[in-house]
Amino acid sequence: MTKELEHSFVELLEKHQNIVHKVCRLYTNNYDAHNDLFQEITIQLWKAYPKFRGDAKFSTWMYRVGLNTAITLYRKSKRSIKTQDFQGVEFKIKAEYYDDTEEEQLKVLYKAVHQLNDIEKALVFLYLEDKDYREISETLGITQVNARVKMNRIKTKLRTILNP
Amino acid sequence: MDGLDLLKKDWDKESSKKKLSVKDIYPMLHKKSSSIVKILFYISLAELVFWILVNSLPYFTSDSYNERLDLVFQNDYILTGLTITSYAIILLFVYLLYKSYKSISITDSAKNLMESILKTRKIIKYYVLYNLIAAGLSLIIGFYYALHNTPNTAIDFSNISDKKMALIIFVITLITAIFVLVIWLFYKLIYGLLLKRLNRNYNELKKLEVD
Repeated sequence: MTKELEHSFVELLEKHQNIVHKVCRLYTNNYDAHNDLFQEITIQLWKAYPKFRGDAKFSTWMYRVGLNTAITLYRKSKRSIKTQDFQGVEFKIKAEYYDDTEEEQLKVLYKAVHQLNDIEKALVFLYLEDKDYREISETLGITQVNARVKMNRIKTKLRTILNP
Repeated sequence: MDGLDLLKKDWDKESSKKKLSVKDIYPMLHKKSSSIVKILFYISLAELVFWILVNSLPYFTSDSYNERLDLVFQNDYILTGLTITSYAIILLFVYLLYKSYKSISITDSAKNLMESILKTRKIIKYYVLYNLIAAGLSLIIGFYYALHNTPNTAIDFSNISDKKMALIIFVITLITAIFVLVIWLFYKLIYGLLLKRLNRNYNELKKLEVD
């Protein structure tokens, strides 16, 4: 029974592994830390799997477990960067890296997103994954209005970085 | 182009790449978790065992302690009552902790998950607080009984001047205060380090509700 369960879980995770990789990508900034967080999310997914009911989509369920592990359960290894206050970093990045090409803009954007705090990252992540505000608010436990307001603030900030 | 739109385009490109095979994932299932809930669980277990030991050790190891206890509490009912009460309280805490751990669910919303972890931590805090208060009270009561009920010490203390008596009380209070302070710092450090990130993220979520 356990073997069967293990098998079905690993197959599903292999199929949807990108969700976990993308969470790791946002919350870590190097290879080792990425793998470390991936490992922890996998353990948490596996521990919660027996309670997973087929009525929810496996991927939706993964978003929750993945984000909750990254935001709450995971103890950051020393290798990963400290999050900083967003406002302070903005200008430094602009001065150092600003360039017109799309590739450069992406670099700046990723760097800026990495400097967001954990909750802001979660919002950006769910937004990039095309989740609507209902799902975003349910995943984080805030109201839809607040999720929308916060998201708009983040968007404005990112826009000013690219178009100063 | 909007910043996030640009990011999204790149983000979706990334979605198609797969990095790990089934073979890579299997061994991961059997690795040990280092989640803060697990660490919190071990700490609470250690706290329970530690304070139960502190409470119980004298009963088992020291005959003279038992004799003294019998002498102080000549009425056996009081001692039995106190013992039963203290174990009942410990059982109550075990039950509360168990219930609280059960309520921690990784599939909850982020805010609820954080709240249930913080609630568990609070129960451990109250347990430690209860033990410290109980220890403090038994010290004071013990001292009081020693002064008034035991013939030997009653004579000893009658020879001490008021000034010396004040000094003794001061020293005892100071030692107790330092003891409590050290324990308090110890807990601040353990839980501060463990829950720093959780607290920060929880406050961030709370702040969103206020804004």
